[in-house]
Amino acid sequence: MTESLIDPETAARVGTVAATATGEVIRRDWQRWAAAVGDDNRLWFDPDYARANGYRDVICPPLYLQYAILGVSPLSGLRPDGSSGAVSGSLAFPKAPRRMAGGESTTFHLPAYHRDEIEMVRTISAVVEKEGRSGRFVLVTWHTVYRNQHGELVAEASTSMIARP
Amino acid sequence: MTELFYEDVEPGDRLPELTVTVDETQMFFFSAATYNGHRIHYDKEWARGKEGYDDVLVQGPLQAALLARAITDWIGGRGRLVTYSVQNRGVAFPGQPLTFGGTVTAKHIDGGRALVDLDIAGRRDADILMPGTATVELPRRQAVS
Repeated sequence: MTESLIDPETAARVGTVAATATGEVIRRDWQRWAAAVGDDNRLWFDPDYARANGYRDVICPPLYLQYAILGVSPLSGLRPDGSSGAVSGSLAFPKAPRRMAGGESTTFHLPAYHRDEIEMVRTISAVVEKEGRSGRFVLVTWHTVYRNQHGELVAEASTSMIARP
Repeated sequence: MTELFYEDVEPGDRLPELTVTVDETQMFFFSAATYNGHRIHYDKEWARGKEGYDDVLVQGPLQAALLARAITDWIGGRGRLVTYSVQNRGVAFPGQPLTFGGTVTAKHIDGGRALVDLDIAGRRDADILMPGTATVELPRRQAVS
């Protein structure tokens, strides 16, 4: 039998919290993100337009929310590939070091505003080895919940990653 | 921007397509905006030598953000993105024109909310790089009495 790509220590973490993080939603940061996407939607930039559409101010683009909680990564702690691993709980796959995002599925419940304080809790849902067209790989899935400073559910997401030998 | 209403949308309708050719400047700014240090997006020697790609890779989350932009541009200020689900199926390189769009698959009223389901995709020519689904909430033309 071929050796598993998944170490027992990693397998034992399924069902546990991989990472928690809190961060402030900052208008300038989401606007920089939107500029990098070329997304000039006035809901992210124009308070009058946002108010005319039922919001109390400009809102954070839904897909930006996941970055608002990112902390600070000392460069000395990066993986050789330059990624930090902080939000994924630093899962290690020494036998499958090539990482690639799998997919994401998010439900957005409430808008986020400038200076909202977001808490993220990310749980490891599954770590499974699979056989694909280009060989064996590890599929990791997380479930992530985002709440604001009032304890309200802002969004929840399932995210996956693929690690290949 | 003209307002899009629930009543205006029918299954089979297609979203206006968004075509973007991502370059390395856009990739740099997107990595900066998302605090992404992954070498595969800026270190050509790493991308080719260590990971076996032809070039650095356009970030999957940038493709996802462009696909979401196609949706939020279409639904206008009073539409809301409710669910958004995508898979990274293929890689894209800088300099390649990528097209983002979708098709309405269903519409339904759920708990008083007017919801529209979409099949969405990011493509390079006929290659689907990022398939997915989304649900948006749209305003109704008349208030329900």
